Amino acid sequence: MNQFNRNFVFLAALPTLAISQSVYAKDYLSVADARKILFPAAQTFLDHKLTITKDQKKAIKDLSGVRQRWDDQLVWRAEADGRFLGWLVVDEVVGKHEFITYAVGITPDGRVIGVEILSYRETHGYQIMEADWRNQFKGKTIDGAFKLDEDISNISGATLSCRNVTDGVKRVLALHQLVLMDG
Amino acid sequence: MADTVRQRPLLGTFVEIGVDGAGPAADAAVTAAFAEIAAIHDLLSFQSPDSALSAFNRDPMAWHDLAPAFRRVLGLSMLLMWHSGGLFNPTVGGQLVARGALPPTGGPMPLPFGQLGDFDMNGNRLRLKRPLALTFDGIAKGFAVDRAVAIVRRAGFTSGWVDAGGDMRAFGNSKLRVRRRETNGSITRLGELSGGAVATSVVAPQVDERFPGLTVSAGDNAPAPGAWTVCARYAWQADALTKVAALAGDADRAALLNRLHGALIAGPAVAGAA
Repeated sequence: MNQFNRNFVFLAALPTLAISQSVYAKDYLSVADARKILFPAAQTFLDHKLTITKDQKKAIKDLSGVRQRWDDQLVWRAEADGRFLGWLVVDEVVGKHEFITYAVGITPDGRVIGVEILSYRETHGYQIMEADWRNQFKGKTIDGAFKLDEDISNISGATLSCRNVTDGVKRVLALHQLVLMDG
Repeated sequence: MADTVRQRPLLGTFVEIGVDGAGPAADAAVTAAFAEIAAIHDLLSFQSPDSALSAFNRDPMAWHDLAPAFRRVLGLSMLLMWHSGGLFNPTVGGQLVARGALPPTGGPMPLPFGQLGDFDMNGNRLRLKRPLALTFDGIAKGFAVDRAVAIVRRAGFTSGWVDAGGDMRAFGNSKLRVRRRETNGSITRLGELSGGAVATSVVAPQVDERFPGLTVSAGDNAPAPGAWTVCARYAWQADALTKVAALAGDADRAALLNRLHGALIAGPAVAGAA
């Protein structure tokens, strides 16, 4: 990093600290949107929120190889004319660099209908090093600066792995098999 | 800004699709576009043992009937191999396996790389004359983006974009401000994309968690490390031309890319300076 950038990071140190918590963030869908997309034919979504017991957590880990961190899991039962269409599970994964909320639709027999990202947050301190950081602040209040997250709409570059979500879906399928199918 | 913007985990990354419309028709079109991307992945993934490509690579010297998309990507790859003087080369699978960037094929260990003369084609049927492994990792993601764009346009949406983690294409009136994630994690503003495609490939010294891909040469020229960003009309072109950019000599890189209907937007200079 050259002299200019180093000075620049120093000058911008205060707002940077706040913003670097969520450098790249995007909200895609509400839970209601995701329900419509994954179960377009469904008329009702019955709240089926689960509280996972300690034993169930262990069984989920054993079956999927992925640890179930949360006690509560948001689940809805999708129905049309009393016909059971499947489950909608809302889940979160925390990676080294990102925090992702997603919805997965599952058929009654445990096949994945689709996985939709609801919100995506990168927690890296990337922008601290951003070369054109200063330009970002031109004519913007601090309030405006916080909206920078949305401004950065598209990043071309090192491909981010979606393995966390893939693992999360594996865990949700184990939860389906162990808790939803039996319950 | 598009009215519908959705993201799904596909192609080992996050794929975002935006269209200038909302409601059930837009949702259905975007869902169909995601499904098409998943179908291309299922066909052409080297990593997935169940893909048509993996079935081919397990027994590359026997005749295989190719699905239309497989045939199309192969044709585009061979054209680009010819016109780039072999800088783009879909037969480097063996070398990528040997270096640990791709899993073993399940067949005999393939040769590191081949040449155009190794292809034996008969209509939609293909065999290779030597034991090689095909990889479309340098082109399939872009191709999948193009197919997704075609799906939403066919559904009647005139503006939008598809962004597959570095490979993106905008169509109609959609404009995308594009930034690039550098090898050191910093982010550089590149510009605005409309009516075309842009792709970035990172040439990392070795495979690791953040840079799972590897660009390899089928000749003596080593790929220049850093991030390479190329724009072109189609995403498959932009995707494949990033590999040509990384492997071309400094003297004729720009001219070669232009001849191949692409343009270098940014080389690794920015990353190197940081």
